[in-house]
Amino acid sequence: MNKPLFHFALAVLVAIALPVLVPSKTLCSEVLIFAIAVAGCNLLLGYTGLLSFGQGIFFGLGSYTLGLTLLHSSLPLVVALALASIVGGLVAVVIGGLAIRRQGVYFVMLTLALAQLFYFLAYSLSGITGGDNGLLGIPRPGVGPFDLNGALAFYVFTAIVFLLIFAALQRVVVSTFGRTLLAIRDNGERAQAIGFPVRLFKIVAFAISGAVTGLAGGLHAALIGIAPLSSIDYHLSESVLIMTVIGGTGNLFGSVLGAGFYVIVSSVLSAIWPRWMLLLGALLIALTLFMQKGLWGLIEAAVSRIRDGGPRRSRSAIRPARGEKP
Amino acid sequence: MIYLSQIVNGIGLGMLYFLLAVGLSIIFGLLHFVNFAHGAFYLLGAYLCYALLQHGIDFWWAITLAGLIVAAFAALVEAGLLRRIYRLDHMYHIVATIGLALMIQEFVIIVWGPVGASVSTPPALVGVVMLGNFIYPEYRIFVVGFTAVLALVLWWLLEGTRLGAIVRAGSESSDSISLLGYDIKRINTAVFALGAGLAALAGGLATPIRGLDPFMGVEALAIAFVVVVIGGMGSFTGALIAGLLVGIVQSLMATIWPEGASLAVYIAMVVVVLVMPRGLLGRA
Repeated sequence: MNKPLFHFALAVLVAIALPVLVPSKTLCSEVLIFAIAVAGCNLLLGYTGLLSFGQGIFFGLGSYTLGLTLLHSSLPLVVALALASIVGGLVAVVIGGLAIRRQGVYFVMLTLALAQLFYFLAYSLSGITGGDNGLLGIPRPGVGPFDLNGALAFYVFTAIVFLLIFAALQRVVVSTFGRTLLAIRDNGERAQAIGFPVRLFKIVAFAISGAVTGLAGGLHAALIGIAPLSSIDYHLSESVLIMTVIGGTGNLFGSVLGAGFYVIVSSVLSAIWPRWMLLLGALLIALTLFMQKGLWGLIEAAVSRIRDGGPRRSRSAIRPARGEKP
Repeated sequence: MIYLSQIVNGIGLGMLYFLLAVGLSIIFGLLHFVNFAHGAFYLLGAYLCYALLQHGIDFWWAITLAGLIVAAFAALVEAGLLRRIYRLDHMYHIVATIGLALMIQEFVIIVWGPVGASVSTPPALVGVVMLGNFIYPEYRIFVVGFTAVLALVLWWLLEGTRLGAIVRAGSESSDSISLLGYDIKRINTAVFALGAGLAALAGGLATPIRGLDPFMGVEALAIAFVVVVIGGMGSFTGALIAGLLVGIVQSLMATIWPEGASLAVYIAMVVVVLVMPRGLLGRA
């Protein structure tokens, strides 16, 4: 159940099944794009114990970078995406370096305030970002001989990028580096005492998360052809965080589930009832009360019940409650 | 001269930010609970005040009732829901209160619609005052005076009364408060309601200045966070100084570079974090 190869196989399965099950190929692309961003958030929250409210910064900057690159040059799409990723990663080093100066709840509040800073920055610098309107009319060049203008063609491209990123993140979390992040998550002071450079590791985790999220932002701008102001706002940071928690923290495939659930359900519900977020709010409260391990936790519990005929404590990434030190 | 007038404006704004942030701050101090619904209480207070005014209720009663209704609602939420999740990790506090904030925001949109509104200044405070050479709206002077009185009352409540002593002791160790025989659950509920009521009051007072819209809660939450990051959580004086600083920076920038006024607030925060990582008063 926890073998990386098995999880990768599940990710491949999702990438193949999505366009078969979901009629809108644009929606399919959106699911996988957010799955990338959510996996990036999960690396911080689930594996490093850092609740970042600033993922929208990297997503938005990725969108703007891709938009500006493709609008003002004839560089290929892959280069533009790489630039989006680099900008996301570099800014994440700065944001991470600043935010980890404060710990715990101060860290969370600081990331939220920094997200607001970048939102207002994008809003104020309307000469570059298009301000309220965003960057409009971003072209979508093909890759080599392949034309990506069709929705399905772009989905295939997105799916390939998604699988590459998924596999890369899997490598990161099983590496010594990834294991050390878990040690930092579970007890930062102990990891520090053992001699790990905790701050550096946290900043590197931020850099990877920012690069991955920036890439997702770039893909999103290429998908919708604009880089809107809403790609860098509070709501985006909040949605990515919500998807991460709904999917289940500390498990990369959980992020795919969280993104899929949120993107598809929000698309269906918002068409029926514009005030669907009322239900989302209720779901989040129910989640904290009854299913703290998210969708992946539900699946794990179901599988172990079938396998063992009874519930079993899973190895999922729930941190110990306040008061009971590990 | 224009700058001087903006500084006075900033003090009014800053006192509202103080009111908003001090509630968040005392809730965290006692409950160690990050309340992401704090901005939503501010939003709800603003809309309730607006609705009561629409029904012809006097401004004084409207802000008082709005504060009390939100405090009562917050007490119910604390006793019915939040109490159950204190033992969980901060992440769950944040997720649950984000959920609560979303529900309040959507409720506001369902009842009052997605488009904002403006609120007229209470008739008794419509006039202007001449301060030296410049004209100054009476309402803003009123806000400064009113919030200053409130701040004094609050300070007395926290520093000079038995309840305040219990709350401060509880911030140090809630177990010892329980051992002394105080009902910590009721104290928690009372403090949570007080914090939410203060946010609602700030919302009500802010409406004649900034108008209303269903997304003002998010903005308020972010500002409250900036104030406590700068001033330190659980610190009354910190919230006051940081609130005023943020208000003055924002008002001054509004004349220098209007588009960048909000931006400047966050840049000021980054500067403080870089120069004084522990915040202005250094308790963290």
